[in-house]
Amino acid sequence: MTTSTPQAASRQTTGAPAKASVWRSIWNHRTDYAYVLPALFAMLVVIGYPVYYTLDLSLFKTPASLQLKDKVFIGLENYSTILSSTSFWKVTLQTLIWTAFSTLIAFLLGLGAALALNREFIGRGILRGLLLVPWVVSAVAASYVWKWLYHSDFGVIGALAVQFGLSDKPINFIDNLQTGLPSLIVVNVWKEFSFAMIMLMAGLQTVPEQLLRAAQVDGASVWQRFWHVTFPHLKGVSMVTILLLTVQNFNSFIIPWIMTGGGPAGATDIWITQVYQLAFGRQRWGAAAAYSVILFVIMMSLGYFYVRSLTSGDRARAVE
Amino acid sequence: MTRLKLSRAIGHGTAVVALLGSLTSTSAFGASVDVSKWSPEYVRSIAGTEEVDTVGHCNSIVPTDYKGKLTMWYQAIAESDPQIMHQNYDEFWAAFKAAYPNIELDAQGITYNDLLDKLRTALLGNAAPMVVRLQILGGAEFASKGYLEPLKPEDVGYSSDDFWTGAMKSVKWDGVDYGIPTNNETMAFIWNADIFQRAGLDPEKAPATWDDVVAYSKQIHDTLGISGYGLVAKPNAGNTPYRFMPQLWAYGGGTLDEASAEPKYQDVWLNSAESKRALQASYDMYVRDKSVPASALTNTQAENQAPFISGQLAMMIAHPSEYARMQDLASKATGADKAVADEVVSNMRYGLIPTGPTGKRAVVFGGSNIHVIKSEYVDGGKVDEMAAKAMVCMWTSPEWSLKLAWSASNPGNLGGFKTKWMKERLDSIKFLDVTTSMLPNGIPFPVIPEAPEIMNIIIPDMLQNALTGAMTVDQAAEDAAQKVKDLVGGM
Amino acid sequence: MSSVSMTSRRKPIDWWRMSGRVFLVLLLIFTILPMAWMVITSLKTGFAAMQYPPQWWPTEPTLDNYIRLLDPSQNIGRDFLRYFLNSIFVSVVTTVLAVVIAVPAAYAFSRFHFPGRTFMFFAVLLRNMFPAVIFLVPLFILMRWLGLVNTHGSLILTYLTFGLPLAIWLLKGFYDNIPIQLEQAARIDGATRFQAFFLIVMPLSSPGIIATSIYSFIGAWNEYIYAYTFLNKNDTMTLPVGIQRFFAENATDWPGLMAATFMMSIPVVVLFLVLQKYFVRALTEGAVKH
Repeated sequence: MTTSTPQAASRQTTGAPAKASVWRSIWNHRTDYAYVLPALFAMLVVIGYPVYYTLDLSLFKTPASLQLKDKVFIGLENYSTILSSTSFWKVTLQTLIWTAFSTLIAFLLGLGAALALNREFIGRGILRGLLLVPWVVSAVAASYVWKWLYHSDFGVIGALAVQFGLSDKPINFIDNLQTGLPSLIVVNVWKEFSFAMIMLMAGLQTVPEQLLRAAQVDGASVWQRFWHVTFPHLKGVSMVTILLLTVQNFNSFIIPWIMTGGGPAGATDIWITQVYQLAFGRQRWGAAAAYSVILFVIMMSLGYFYVRSLTSGDRARAVE
Repeated sequence: MTRLKLSRAIGHGTAVVALLGSLTSTSAFGASVDVSKWSPEYVRSIAGTEEVDTVGHCNSIVPTDYKGKLTMWYQAIAESDPQIMHQNYDEFWAAFKAAYPNIELDAQGITYNDLLDKLRTALLGNAAPMVVRLQILGGAEFASKGYLEPLKPEDVGYSSDDFWTGAMKSVKWDGVDYGIPTNNETMAFIWNADIFQRAGLDPEKAPATWDDVVAYSKQIHDTLGISGYGLVAKPNAGNTPYRFMPQLWAYGGGTLDEASAEPKYQDVWLNSAESKRALQASYDMYVRDKSVPASALTNTQAENQAPFISGQLAMMIAHPSEYARMQDLASKATGADKAVADEVVSNMRYGLIPTGPTGKRAVVFGGSNIHVIKSEYVDGGKVDEMAAKAMVCMWTSPEWSLKLAWSASNPGNLGGFKTKWMKERLDSIKFLDVTTSMLPNGIPFPVIPEAPEIMNIIIPDMLQNALTGAMTVDQAAEDAAQKVKDLVGGM
Repeated sequence: MSSVSMTSRRKPIDWWRMSGRVFLVLLLIFTILPMAWMVITSLKTGFAAMQYPPQWWPTEPTLDNYIRLLDPSQNIGRDFLRYFLNSIFVSVVTTVLAVVIAVPAAYAFSRFHFPGRTFMFFAVLLRNMFPAVIFLVPLFILMRWLGLVNTHGSLILTYLTFGLPLAIWLLKGFYDNIPIQLEQAARIDGATRFQAFFLIVMPLSSPGIIATSIYSFIGAWNEYIYAYTFLNKNDTMTLPVGIQRFFAENATDWPGLMAATFMMSIPVVVLFLVLQKYFVRALTEGAVKH
């Protein structure tokens, strides 16, 4: 436990790493690895094998009449089929719309809520708690509840609209090509905005009170105070929040799957519902694997920014 | 597995006989029930004419002191199923335990919609159960992939003639039987007589043809402002083909040639003029007349109960259990709800499913089959074949194939129709005679491994494309036909 | 904190503040309406739920749906309670393991400079880039090899890896902000490295540990798709999968489903409401302050 100390460690990394010294360095730090080993092991098991499996399977065709083990090697054909299909690009566009709007609206609502809650008032704690409920409840539960609310003939939202004279008949939310995707985005925003809210509330704690006060004394308007004092302090946390939401939204599945199954006529199909349908609905395991690999590649390029933003603190310290 | 293996040799070369064809010849049956005489009156006349000794029979196949272990999956009955189903299942497990006290049984009820997916995944990981009871649509897929052991009624002391020919056809792959039917049902047409009356229609008569359905639906919607026909078109739902295929077949269409006397499953019928007319009828109701629920695109049949029972939907294709379900709901209602519920129940009518323009009447021949999975794919690596047979024998017996299908289906073993319990069902389940008399009009889904994809994905997609306006009726039918062609052609 | 509102009160009308209030009210309605309808539906009989126009408040509210779920003498009650206990077991074990694994890893990533550190840290963070659905079949096969299919072990192992990236990241932020001099002082006083860590660093990072625990717990409690794939035995199922029982081929029990959904939400909501202030604090100190 005491072979290397933090000080020794930092000395080590400043030296020029010749090949032999890398091994020596690893050896010197051998107990350090014990700390991260369980985490790495869990990751390796749960990621390593599936990634290998997916890459391998993506080169095969899997006909409905054959077992998976009797798959037929077809090289990169799955990839070319997917990339040349119009449905892939249509679904990609829908995924981008889904992700961009869900992320943006959830972020803005979260920001508004965080700012409005940043002042002390009676019942603030309870209000904050209530606003956090959607983030805490399960996506499965939320999807069933919203499906029941949206129902095109018997939904309570449509019934309320009729009751208040806003509409003469129940509203069709999810059974048409135009409003299907936007309606699901609303559900997703409902589920996610409070995550943005809580992150930004945390961010607001770091805004120095004196600075705001000084700005106010100088006659800065509310907007100017926000833009010149508060917002710069929120930049880092905003970046992290937006990236976390983006990743999560690219990977969304439960809400569209339970509410519309990707319908009507594919209007709410996004990447992951498409992969699921390919694999489980249509048993094109090979095509689904190739689809997954394409998604890995897209996600990895996004992952570069994701990791950079999550580790920005590290780099800042490194400069110090 | 020696006994099961033996059956493979015998099973080879069995001629494929179409259900409809066989109905005209009495010789195919006769072991227990004469299907050629099938009518509500005949069904009533044979009920209660025979006593059965289920335990005695099964103990002669697998001795009662047999010691073993069995894992099994079946479609779970749900909380929302009528009370009697829960009771009957409890009794069945108790009866099995009494007949085979030394067989350790691990039976898992899996939700209907999940079972196919779960079994596929389990088979990939060699973690399947020894015995599985599957919806009729699934058998060919697993048989063709070589996951199933040959299994036929003779293996457990019954005769193939004790089961519907259409049902036996659904367990046959490449001339070999891979399972035994447990239950078979056909749906019927239900309507709300009160709504018919108020819309100026004859309250006691179902629409005779599908064109009438379109017209009735419009008339109901135009006069009362509520939905006429309960269309459903949810994607990836087994529920959708059960409602659309009767219409497609009645107009003379089909996906492949499954509606013909001797289907070969080679020709694609989806883009025929008849098929397009059927799709056009749906289009007319949903888009032109707006006389059906707008939620049809995200609905399964389960969601149509709401409008029906609240008097907002006039007619639909319904399961035999629909009436029991409504009654169950009504019995749980209290106060003012009770009055409304009772009124709807008293206005419920059952009739035959409408015909097409040429008088063709069709319905999906539905049900479930029980299968035994090969040892290599089973959790533990070894099927206890005797224990499996004991279960198969019990489940497919006249007694239990009836009792376990009490409110939602009919006994797979035709002998069940002769038991006293059938009499009890006829007396207690209203309209059972109507739904059972649809059985001879039943057409099985194509018995090919691609059937689940065609029925659960391609057909709903075709409906969705046409009804949302993403494609014209013509394009949607051509598109779906092309997909079926590619699929069956091995793409 | 309150000084901001004190100063603004002097102005005649603070439009920003007004609009802030209006915004909060609207947001609250948006948030609450679905939950409220869920609760109202759960108080109806199956028949009353199927009325149009809907009964805004049930004419005869009933607690039957809840009683049924909590009555161990009935099948459904017995199952529901078992799913409930299973969910608690899986979530608690996942949470404890996540903390036990994340704390040392985060500490090492913060304090030690071993070769490959950055790469490993990235690798851990990247876990969340992979959508669950893609891995269902390979993970099922893997769990089968490990003999974990139909056991809670399969879920715990999988859930652990969702929670870990954010947990490690958050905790690392904490340790980065704890001055290394504190530990050095303890070491000079004769503490071992482990003691310094356990007695000095751990207590200072407790909000982070609480936040990490809540995050893991909620994730495990609500997870659906892996539980759906890995579990085929009724007595091992967790709540999100178990409540599927309310759906059948030909009927849907909306009130029962809503009651089950409501009860399933209670533990996480209560847990979160009680601990939310730690959560905000933890995010402030661990995630935001860099």
